[in-house]
Amino acid sequence: MNSDTITLEIIQNSLQAAADEMFAAMRKTAMSSIIYEVLDMGTGITDASGRIASSGAGIPAFIGVLDKSVQYIVSKQKDIRPGDVYITNDPWHGGVTHLNDLVLAMPVFSKGKLIAWTANIAHNSDVGGMAPGSLSGEATEIFQEGLRLPAVRLIKEGETDQAVMDIITCNSRMPDFLLGDVWAAIASVRVGAKRLEALADKYGVETFVKAMDAFMEFGEKTAKAELKKLPKGTFELSEEQDDGRVYHVKITISDDEMVVDLRDNPDQDMGPTNTSRDGTVVCAQMLFKSVTDPQTPANDGSFRPLKVLTREGSVFHAQEPAAIGFYFETEVRVYDLIWRCLAPHIPQRLPAGHFSSICGTFIGGIHPDTGRQYTIIEPQLGGWGAWEGCDGNPCIFSGFHGETYNTPAEISEARNGLYVDCMALNEAPGGEGQFTGGRGLVLEYRIRTENGFLTAGYTRSKIKPWALEKGREGSGNCVEVLKADGSQESYSFVSGLGLTTDDVVRVITSSGAGYGDPKKRDPHAVTMDVKNGFVSPERAAEIYGADH
Amino acid sequence: MSDKILRVATDVGGTFTDLVAFETSHDGSMNIITSKSDTTPPDFEQGVLNVLEKGAIKPDDIDFMAHGTTVVINALTERKGVKVGLITTKGFRDTLEIARGNRPDFFNLHYVKPEPFVPRYLRRELPGRMTYKGEEREPLDLSDLSNIIADFQDEGVKAVAICLLHSYANTRHEEALLEAVRHAWPDVAVVASHQITREWREYERTNTTVLSAYVQPVAARYLGKLADGLKSKGAKSAPYIMQSNCGVDSLQATSKVPITMVESGPASGFWGAAELGKLIGEPNILALDIGGTTAKCSLIENGQVRIMTDYWIERSRKSAGYPIMVPVVDLVEIGNGGGSIAWVDDYGKLHVGPQSAGALPGPAAYGKGGSQATTTDANLWLGRINCDYFCGGAVDADMQAVKKAIADLADKLNVSADEAAQGIVRIANNNMVNALKLVSVNRGHDTRDFALLAFGGGGAMHAVALAQELQMKKVIVPAAASVFSAWGMMMSDLRRDYFVTQLLDLSVDGADTMKSVFTDTQNKALETFKAEGIDESQVSFLRYGKFRYQNQEHTTEVLVEGDITSDSLKTIEEHFHQTYEREYSYRLSAPVEMVGIHLVAKAEVGKLTMKPEPISDAPASNARKGARHVDYALDGVHNADIYDGEKLQPGMTFQGPAIIEDPGTTIVIHPDNQVEVDAYRNIHILLGETA
Repeated sequence: MNSDTITLEIIQNSLQAAADEMFAAMRKTAMSSIIYEVLDMGTGITDASGRIASSGAGIPAFIGVLDKSVQYIVSKQKDIRPGDVYITNDPWHGGVTHLNDLVLAMPVFSKGKLIAWTANIAHNSDVGGMAPGSLSGEATEIFQEGLRLPAVRLIKEGETDQAVMDIITCNSRMPDFLLGDVWAAIASVRVGAKRLEALADKYGVETFVKAMDAFMEFGEKTAKAELKKLPKGTFELSEEQDDGRVYHVKITISDDEMVVDLRDNPDQDMGPTNTSRDGTVVCAQMLFKSVTDPQTPANDGSFRPLKVLTREGSVFHAQEPAAIGFYFETEVRVYDLIWRCLAPHIPQRLPAGHFSSICGTFIGGIHPDTGRQYTIIEPQLGGWGAWEGCDGNPCIFSGFHGETYNTPAEISEARNGLYVDCMALNEAPGGEGQFTGGRGLVLEYRIRTENGFLTAGYTRSKIKPWALEKGREGSGNCVEVLKADGSQESYSFVSGLGLTTDDVVRVITSSGAGYGDPKKRDPHAVTMDVKNGFVSPERAAEIYGADH
Repeated sequence: MSDKILRVATDVGGTFTDLVAFETSHDGSMNIITSKSDTTPPDFEQGVLNVLEKGAIKPDDIDFMAHGTTVVINALTERKGVKVGLITTKGFRDTLEIARGNRPDFFNLHYVKPEPFVPRYLRRELPGRMTYKGEEREPLDLSDLSNIIADFQDEGVKAVAICLLHSYANTRHEEALLEAVRHAWPDVAVVASHQITREWREYERTNTTVLSAYVQPVAARYLGKLADGLKSKGAKSAPYIMQSNCGVDSLQATSKVPITMVESGPASGFWGAAELGKLIGEPNILALDIGGTTAKCSLIENGQVRIMTDYWIERSRKSAGYPIMVPVVDLVEIGNGGGSIAWVDDYGKLHVGPQSAGALPGPAAYGKGGSQATTTDANLWLGRINCDYFCGGAVDADMQAVKKAIADLADKLNVSADEAAQGIVRIANNNMVNALKLVSVNRGHDTRDFALLAFGGGGAMHAVALAQELQMKKVIVPAAASVFSAWGMMMSDLRRDYFVTQLLDLSVDGADTMKSVFTDTQNKALETFKAEGIDESQVSFLRYGKFRYQNQEHTTEVLVEGDITSDSLKTIEEHFHQTYEREYSYRLSAPVEMVGIHLVAKAEVGKLTMKPEPISDAPASNARKGARHVDYALDGVHNADIYDGEKLQPGMTFQGPAIIEDPGTTIVIHPDNQVEVDAYRNIHILLGETA
């Protein structure tokens, strides 16, 4: 180390600060609650070739997305100029996820040379397609899921290409929201680019580039050092899914590499739950990062020792023009599959299974007080699994979401014109153990007008969160609809279900799974579980074998 | 003593209780008395009485006393409050535990969510609902209240928190419940959310109410004993209590809702910065307070501090923390102070802080067994701090220990000791620059339009380097920088910030509604002041609206001046567009709506008046006491003039490289800096070629 490495470190800290600032700018200006409250968004900085150098707070599932988008843009666009901004959302054109997620990327130049990119991704409320909110369980082709933007230039040397902007807004059912959100995204990449230009000016391009490279090498070094501490060998798992399909994973860990083999998996299908290969890679990257080095910021180097094998045409590597709207439920499955496969071998690094679903819930209709259209697009909170020495967390977001916030009932009632009858911890049996899984959620929305709709896609409904060391599995996710006429239905996947006044949508999410034999649970902890109403005295006697 | 006015500020800190007294004669000349004694837990009021005695201040001579205390924040962070029972709306008792569900440390699958301050069995519900518009949807049903209270009593609950859904829009249910609890259980401490805040978001409001109840008996006992103790020594009136919103409030009001004191420590310094700026014609200030363990900064624009209500304790990249929705000065705090420890991680990277050597063992230079190099040690090593005049000469710097600590670090980094020490200073400076950017550049402010005002023990040591990095033209180090916070307390008004949520679409004519929400809130404020014997004529208001584009969430505050009419709404709207564009670089043609108001109500209560001193024609060389080699890190090593801060007179000027030493602080002046001492003895440092 010499004093020069202090400079490199200062540049690295400043990259982090810039990515954070991009995140804050976007959050404060976005129009859609899915962006500003749920924070279904991410920001990042890549080097000139699109390798991720730094990322803002937010969602781990978005960190590995932006590099792939920028790499695609770099490969496609031949005349990249200062002031340009590019936009993509299509998984076969660098978009990675689904069409709702618009990625914006801006090249950063210093003294005429391309030195970096700033980019962000966010879930937009409606990008056209066959259903409001653009997501439909009925979709069989991507064409039904909205407007495809194949990495095109939205702003040329600072001038907005109005034709492109008009096409985008014209294809949305919520053009005002879309326009506001796209401008928030533009402001965000611009503020990041400004900071990077200043950094390169101050320290010189060469030092700036060197700092990015050094940062990535550091990420790689850290990942490799931790990889060496993992058990070596090949680990396999087959897991049945709610829909009866079986997923397989084979993981081989050696001293300098982890290979995740997902080739032996079902073919892609006609439904919207396929994922792109890039999306599958992101899932493996997330878990790899959590297992090797959860503490330091992620960058390209963090993921270098990871190899992911997929088979084109399979559910984890869908071919154009597969529908991919609900890709996230399949991605969270493959993420959990890798987690579950490794957990028994490294229990000190991985807790028991969590509710492990985005529990994406979409409710829309007309606000009774304003007459305006409202759309709820939200992932749900749920219970997390226990580990040796610690009960799981109650009600936090899934492993896919991170610095994400639920919507307060007071704001939801005002914004959406419905009533929130309750928002409570789920007391359903499940997740018991020497250390118990955290509690899931019960959330009730009471509809106030006619002509509303519900779309939802939950997994871990039949196949419940998995336990470790003789703990009990979690309670399971589902959404119930209590009709005003007294009838009641329970769903895991539902699309465009009609809702009317006084119907109640009850979101129920799973507890996390338990760790260890319930009979070994500290009797005082069991007493408190009963006192807090998390378990009935009868069930406590049955499961924990004590008289409470 | 009628010929002098005696104003006293006392401040209870973790280790010491400080006193600063300002004695003003009729001719305006001022005498400053400082004193320090040990903090005396758990009877903190004793320490206050001790320090008065030590400073030879007779309580019956005091004309105005302001008091700052960390009793609230300490009770929270040390979990030394009381057992709280929560009563809330049916269906929402788990709000406190569900919180917002975020996982800031998102790759860490062993993240542990902060535990709620009230366990589930002490969270109870009552039927009854208001709507977001404040209309009653279902009447409040109190029939279960007696059972709840009986259970709370059995469980040893000492304070009750009440928070009902939509109480920000209509307080009636909460008021009824509050009254019923007081009636059924007169001796319990009880607080309802509307007494603290009228803003929406039920988790934040509930948690705020719970934390206020949690500290209320502790704070009320402390304040009561303090008032009694002072009274028994002859004090004419109760002290005013420093608040987190930069104002002071009466002891009585504070006892009822003590949570408003939570961040009062830094608030007085930032208020002082705003007041000093007004005094010397610098209305735009970036204020930086560097202490032993942290650095805090805040931005002051047009003489106004920015007050926010999204304050959290224990929040970091590693934890979601706990929200407290009370008016707190907008500040950024980082774990970088004089005592911050420099360390090298497993991969050979150098870090500074957030761990601090504290008072014990302290920096290696204290010679009390500290073996890890701190920022202070690096400053000593580089000659920036005078090792023969350490802590104003009160401590013999243990340079052997400093040498060893720096050498150990240099070995790990494989560099020379000088390079290691420079590295510490550079990393610490970079951390502080990023914090300063958060309150300035990140919010659309150009730092070149601001002066950097540095105070606290370590502020002046780093200020010039930070200002260079931010391209600022001027650094100001206030006279008596180390007791600047106390001075700020003396400049405070009796101030209350009211935040009320009120949705309003500006495209329909909302002037009447806006007017009435301001008027109602102003009347409420006047009523409170009147009950304290403060006449309407002494009270002044500042009115802000919180605006956004329709469908957005985050708001931008805009000052609302003059009468509110349909026409003035248009001006306000245009003002919003401009403010928004400055902060976010674009504007939209979307409809604008108001989400709520922020009303500042203040009354002057015996604030200090400053009088300029005559400009001396004595040359600065009168204050020069020598020269030494100083390592300015990136600016190289220079032979710097050393000045005695206590001998500097108004009007003196000189050039850097230089160091000013006074008992409380060291001011580092870089080459090419131009220094001027103003008529209030503040040091102005003009940077580089702009001098």
